[in-house]
Amino acid sequence: MGEGRVKLRIYGMTCDDCVATVTRGLMDQDGVLDVRVSLEKRMGEVDIDPEKVKPEELLSNKVFKKPSHYTATLIDQ
Amino acid sequence: MILSEEVQKFDLVILGKGAAAFSAAIKASELSNGEMTIAMVGTGQLGGTCVNVGCVPSKYLLEASHLVFRPGHSRMAGIYDTPVRHNFSEVMKGLRSYVTHARETKYAQVIENYRNVKLFTGLGKFVDKKTVALTGSDGNEIGRLSGSSILIATGSHPSVPNIEGLKDAGFLTSDTIWELNELPDSVAIIGGGAIGLEIGQALLHFGSKVTVIEALDSLLPQSEPEIQAALKKKLEEEGIRFHMRARVSAVHKSGEVKNIEVITHKGKENIGVKELIVATGRAPNTDNIGLEVAGVRTDSRGLIITSDTMKTSASGVYAAGDCVSKKMFLETLAAREGVIAVSNMFGEDMRIDYDSTVWAVFTSPQVAGVGMTENEFSMKNGSCSNRVFSLENLTKASIIGETEGIIKITVNPLDNRIAGMQIMAPNATDIITEGAYAVKNGYTIDDVIATSHIFPSMSEGIKLAAQSFIRDMSKMSCCVE
Repeated sequence: MGEGRVKLRIYGMTCDDCVATVTRGLMDQDGVLDVRVSLEKRMGEVDIDPEKVKPEELLSNKVFKKPSHYTATLIDQ
Repeated sequence: MILSEEVQKFDLVILGKGAAAFSAAIKASELSNGEMTIAMVGTGQLGGTCVNVGCVPSKYLLEASHLVFRPGHSRMAGIYDTPVRHNFSEVMKGLRSYVTHARETKYAQVIENYRNVKLFTGLGKFVDKKTVALTGSDGNEIGRLSGSSILIATGSHPSVPNIEGLKDAGFLTSDTIWELNELPDSVAIIGGGAIGLEIGQALLHFGSKVTVIEALDSLLPQSEPEIQAALKKKLEEEGIRFHMRARVSAVHKSGEVKNIEVITHKGKENIGVKELIVATGRAPNTDNIGLEVAGVRTDSRGLIITSDTMKTSASGVYAAGDCVSKKMFLETLAAREGVIAVSNMFGEDMRIDYDSTVWAVFTSPQVAGVGMTENEFSMKNGSCSNRVFSLENLTKASIIGETEGIIKITVNPLDNRIAGMQIMAPNATDIITEGAYAVKNGYTIDDVIATSHIFPSMSEGIKLAAQSFIRDMSKMSCCVE
């Protein structure tokens, strides 16, 4: 099993609860191995199994879809 | 002036300040709750081609010209031709004033409300896939910007053919004509496309003698042959002189006269005019922005190749607007492409739909279309069904005395779904939207017939055009459904 690291710019976070919600949402996604979200940097670092999930599929995570008010883009593509 | 020694980092760098750039910046701001840091880079005026030198000034000039022309060409019994007093110089002053107002209110003041968007003046050129160098008008680098995502929306400029003596004689284009203050008494226009015909008819309506020189054997290549012929006939009746399948071999200036050497199948002819306008199409602004460094592929015309998601060949780099390889170059399409590009940066799966995109030519009568032509549908599917409805059979057109137009509908013969519609009518640009709904949603001619339309109205013509698939509308009562 390989491992890849994806950096996300995350928008809409205002507090630690947001960090927890986004982190939990990403951790629930198949192929996601670990998640570190920073409120200060508005960033997330996501370790993934590239055979199970592509970086851009993280953007389609439920936590980034309406009615959620969080959105994200890829930083390093 | 050096903006910064360091590379300034943004979430999104947009090359361009036009329609695609603005719609992208605003959509990105909305999707990110105003948090996405955006750099908008360009050398030209805010708003790009459309508001400054395209749709806005050309429609202003056309409307003003119609106000001058129509009272002198009455179409109703008992209404006498009345010459209109006017001052061309004042009209042009009003035009420029309106363009400034539109740019300020629709672009400059709008973008000021987006604190996350920073404007940079200068030419942005890729130094790698994520970084652009910004150069000033003197060619010196004034800073560097990097973006996690980049949108290329650099637009286009009028293309000028390589004709002997053209530059020395001087000419106008759709970029420069708006500075005119004096109406030229005679004008030759190279190019019988939308821009050439709109400017040509406007100047004709103000009183210029207008000659259009077109390389092809028909006007408006995107339109149906019936519309090409009907519009040419109408413009000829108004006084425009056409040279079709004609090539300009040389231009030279003699005193105040520009002599144009035109070659047609009849031989060589010299046309002497006061002013020459070049309207031979537009070329993308992609030459000097380092696309090769970023790995962004272009086609043979220099237009950027994208997928229908507006992604270029370089990951993280998108393109939108007139710099993109496609068939239609429209402000509305540019704006849509900008929205799609940005939405996809946020993980959406949005795709551009060129099939239901409407296009228009604002001559009088106007021409507008959507979807496939008869020929395009037949070439793709082997056969098609279509009808051409004359406005002579439309009551409203008869009342206002403007029956020169037609409505042509192309349907899939297998299910009667509308695949394309083209309209030549006084308000074709307004009523074509019905065609756009039909093509986009797969409506049949029966759907159109079963939908109520106002009588008497020009939009009723679309219903009658649909009915012409089932009966001869030239011999029909106007109340039959």
